[in-house]
Amino acid sequence: MAETAQALTLAVGDRVVYPNQGVCRVTSVESKEVAGQTLTFVTMKREEDGAVVMVPEAKVRSIGLRKVAGRADVERVFSFLRSDSDKANLDWKQRARTNVERMSQGGLMGLAEVVKGLQVLSELRPLPTKERELYDNARHLLVAELAASLNTAEVDAEDSVDLVLFPPGRERPKRTAEEFRSAAGDEDGIELGEDLLELGGEMELGPEGEGGSGEAEAEAEVAEPAPKAKGGAKRKAEKKAPAEKKPAAEKKAADRKAAPKKPAKAEKKAAAKPEKKPAGKPAAKKSPAKPAKRK
Amino acid sequence: MIRLVTLDAYDPKVIDRLCKMLYTAFGVGCEHAGDMPLPAGQHEPFDAQELLKALPSPRAYADDKILYLTSRKLKPRSVISGDVPCSGFTNQNGPRALVSSAAVKDPEAGLKQIARHAMHQLGHTWELHHCLDPRCAMYPPWTLNYDAGDTFFETFCRDKSEQRIRLAKS
Repeated sequence: MAETAQALTLAVGDRVVYPNQGVCRVTSVESKEVAGQTLTFVTMKREEDGAVVMVPEAKVRSIGLRKVAGRADVERVFSFLRSDSDKANLDWKQRARTNVERMSQGGLMGLAEVVKGLQVLSELRPLPTKERELYDNARHLLVAELAASLNTAEVDAEDSVDLVLFPPGRERPKRTAEEFRSAAGDEDGIELGEDLLELGGEMELGPEGEGGSGEAEAEAEVAEPAPKAKGGAKRKAEKKAPAEKKPAAEKKAADRKAAPKKPAKAEKKAAAKPEKKPAGKPAAKKSPAKPAKRK
Repeated sequence: MIRLVTLDAYDPKVIDRLCKMLYTAFGVGCEHAGDMPLPAGQHEPFDAQELLKALPSPRAYADDKILYLTSRKLKPRSVISGDVPCSGFTNQNGPRALVSSAAVKDPEAGLKQIARHAMHQLGHTWELHHCLDPRCAMYPPWTLNYDAGDTFFETFCRDKSEQRIRLAKS
């Protein structure tokens, strides 16, 4: 944000936002001797519950402390919330990383992005517990800062946000995974493709006659992001797998020779995680499917 | 403890059932704390915020929540992004909440709807925010089909409200 680029000078009585903590009021700026060094500390009181925090003045910038957003920032946040632009990343790892960054360094707009992103994602499928918590935290911080910025009650700030996110008289839209995929770039497509390949690899462990059609089915199922469908595909694969697990490694090797696609995929996997897997086992059966499951 | 104060005449059976529904929803006791007249100088449709401010509080403990129930209409509230249709009002983490049953012609038949709105406002008093699940009572109350929903809290909202109630000093 623009404020972080400017020098942050704090005085007693200023309202500031401590990332991930909320709106605080500066209660004192004083020098103290700590371990033989004289440091200037900014003492703040969190408005929500009165918790006191002391920050060395030199670290104020690096922790992301900023002044409460101005009217222009609020306007930008509302126009962003009104827009239909933000689609969350379907890759849960990337999404989590981005959201943590937005929460700590994104300012008011970052909070709005997290709220909007997760709200739109929830229209595709229910949020997992951690993300539901994150959504609640982001919403709480957003509402508190908006209330401080607009000088209104929190309930008014929350209603003004939700009036935009949940317009009266309009049905909650139902999203499709395609919307998210087209909004994300090519990279996501590749990552999802890898996940499909991993599951495809598992499917090939099944009885020989069902290999081709089963794989296609699994891919079709996995293309839908609903976790149940993926779980179903995996379970199917696991059910088929026991019969094939017992035969010796040569049979597997022979199968792999017969299907030229797999070694390429396996190599991809091995290249991605070289330190974990021994050279003789290019593709692990169970572990790679986990990230795909949690999406 | 939830203390229900009626600002208009209601059938005692309806109040009794409403208390039971709120008890089931929050897991804390709910009782009818009596009737109270509407403050003078205000006219229908009422400004919910002003009305709540003008209402006197009954005797209650520090962590008790007071729910005022009226059959009068409430004025839509103006916020920065537009007008919010108003079926009740409370301040986040405040001790008092106001709910209107004006949208329900027969309180006995529409008790579920009144209870859902009451749960919503009481949820705000326990610091719950609006929820993403349309089935949950904390979903924004002005949305389509909200009134047709059940008296239900989504798992996250239920856990959070229970946690807040457990943390209460009294």
